Amino acid sequence: MKKIFAVFALLLIVAMALPACAPAAADCKSADVLCVGLVTDVGKIDDKSFNQSAWEGVKQAEKDLGAKVQYIETTDAKDYAKNISTFADEGYDAIVTVGFALGEATVAAAKQYPNVKFVGVDQFQTETIANLTGLNFPEDQAGFLVGALAAQMSATKKIGAVCGTDAVPPVWRFGEGYKAGAAYIDPAVEVNVVYHSDVGFDKTFVDPEWGAATANSMMDKGVDTIFGCGGKTGNGAVTAAAQAGKFAIGVDSDQYLTLPEAAPRMLSSAMKLITPGVAGLLKSAKEGTFPGGNFTGLAGYAPYHDLDSQVPAEVKAKMEEIQTALQNGSLQTGVSPAKP
Amino acid sequence: MQGSETKGKTPSRASKLFRSAMDAALVPFLAIFTALVIGGVIIWLAGGNPIQAYVGLFQGAFGSPKAISETAVWATPYIFAGLAVALAFKGGLFNIGAEGQLALGAVAAAWVGYALPGMLGITIPAIIHIPLAIGMGILFGAIWAAIPGALKAYTGAHEVINTIMMNYIALNTVSYLLNGPMKDNSPTNVIARTPEIAVTARMPAIFSDLRVHWGFVLALIVAWLVWYLLWKTTLGFEIRTVGSNPDAAKYAGMNVKRLIILTMAFSGGLAGLAGAIEVVGLNYRHELGFSIGYGFDAIAIALLGRSHPLGVVLAAILFGGMRNGATRMQFLTQIPVDVISVIQALILLFVAADEIIRYIYRIKQKEERLVLTRGWGG
Repeated sequence: MKKIFAVFALLLIVAMALPACAPAAADCKSADVLCVGLVTDVGKIDDKSFNQSAWEGVKQAEKDLGAKVQYIETTDAKDYAKNISTFADEGYDAIVTVGFALGEATVAAAKQYPNVKFVGVDQFQTETIANLTGLNFPEDQAGFLVGALAAQMSATKKIGAVCGTDAVPPVWRFGEGYKAGAAYIDPAVEVNVVYHSDVGFDKTFVDPEWGAATANSMMDKGVDTIFGCGGKTGNGAVTAAAQAGKFAIGVDSDQYLTLPEAAPRMLSSAMKLITPGVAGLLKSAKEGTFPGGNFTGLAGYAPYHDLDSQVPAEVKAKMEEIQTALQNGSLQTGVSPAKP
Repeated sequence: MQGSETKGKTPSRASKLFRSAMDAALVPFLAIFTALVIGGVIIWLAGGNPIQAYVGLFQGAFGSPKAISETAVWATPYIFAGLAVALAFKGGLFNIGAEGQLALGAVAAAWVGYALPGMLGITIPAIIHIPLAIGMGILFGAIWAAIPGALKAYTGAHEVINTIMMNYIALNTVSYLLNGPMKDNSPTNVIARTPEIAVTARMPAIFSDLRVHWGFVLALIVAWLVWYLLWKTTLGFEIRTVGSNPDAAKYAGMNVKRLIILTMAFSGGLAGLAGAIEVVGLNYRHELGFSIGYGFDAIAIALLGRSHPLGVVLAAILFGGMRNGATRMQFLTQIPVDVISVIQALILLFVAADEIIRYIYRIKQKEERLVLTRGWGG
């Protein structure tokens, strides 16, 4: 017994002494060093979705701006404020927070740390705070792109979309953009966009069975390309389409990577280009042109992956042309921001 | 140890207490130590520097007033929930349902906080509103745990199965409520969460610039109350008797059925209190992303604390410190925070299977074995 206690006393002393030889913290408090931190929502940094895309944007800043970068994964929603202030207290110059859920904590932190620049991914700002920019995306353009792709790839000239409720503006923009994009290619293409507006908010995004059933009934009527926009409801539709051997189109991020059961038939996904959006805002933060308020990023479409060989070269060229035109403003989707 | 022995030939009462506390703490202490060593190897295998990681962990948990405050914030629900599981253990019952009881307590407290003043059309003074919200949390947790307690008492249905099943019902009900009837309907909100509770239902912070709130102090008081209940009252004696030998309790004339239900209700009330305190003291609302897994961590905390209130408090501070310090550990080393879960699981493994620890460190079995729950149908 005594020996064990002696060993422990020794270990305890060593443990107490350890903090003294802690590694020197990187000099983020110095004005010359650009330090960028990222706080995830309750999720992992390699989620193949928002967190990962935003982190890749931060890594871009590391490469282009010579920034020192670091991330913290949140494990409990009550830690949002603490995780953000961990970076702010260390003298970080810019902090990226990912996802709507961090919105309130980010606004509070921006007010508390006026010298730190904050980028809130998918956080719409209702008031303008000079050191906080909400990075939002033109969902109508993303929907437009995949609508145009679907119209070109459909053999039956009948395409469909299964979406969550149109009372949520981004969902409405995805769905209406899809219609507009298809009409832009060929007004004769038959477009079925179904919103799951018949149920409450608790159900509309988490109803894969309804999504699959709706997709199946569309396919019975000859639809051969289906765009799923609305969480698990959309995923259900897309998976049903893939299982039937039709074209499936995902949403938000490249769902070829996140929805393996539909991957072999995943034609593309309507994407929010988070990586360049984050990288661009961090660059403007360094150059002193940080916008504040809301910043609209770019929309895009995911690679064709397994179906690349099935997409004709002229379709690929047309898609790039449309994307460029949308991004430089020479082409408008004509979709209103929310359901009128 | 030396100091206490020099006091006199006959060891004083304090010295005896100290000795028995040291004996009781030995296995948990060695379990923590062993888990940290193995965790260090895992960190090293994952390409990290274990010393740097543990330094970060320690700094993040106790390195500054803010860090200590955050550790207390984490420890607060852990103490309540740990006491909940520990009290049930003392009564010979294994309450795996703390997770669900906690979530229901949180929702009940949030409802009193945001909806009740509007329903009554009055502003409830804080002196009534705060206890009312907390009390409702306790009540819901207690009722939810009393159900499996009654099933055990009257039908012999094992509480382990039933509390797990009650967890599913509670968690899915809470999910429904937060997505539906109780959802925060402000136009920009898409998260499953309740509206913010009224200002009158919010427990004040102890210091203006730190998040630690009076709930932590309450947790320490409640820990003392649980100790008092178990070891200084007749009811506590009865609970412990049922826990160690229900047949003896029955022959001694105790109402075993009533005691089982009561023990579960006390346990559930403490778990509900854990949820309520998070709403009233810290988050000011309930959200689906809050408090995930506290009820399960609580089992580990109760085991590590050997079901003694003081042990639970210390174990809760340890677990809270690890959860809190993990942020800084990740900040300094970019080691995934999951390492902390691995270390916690290892601690639990070594405490539950203490033969491993006794074998490694050659400790002779002195104290009586820890009886957690009786066998099936017991």
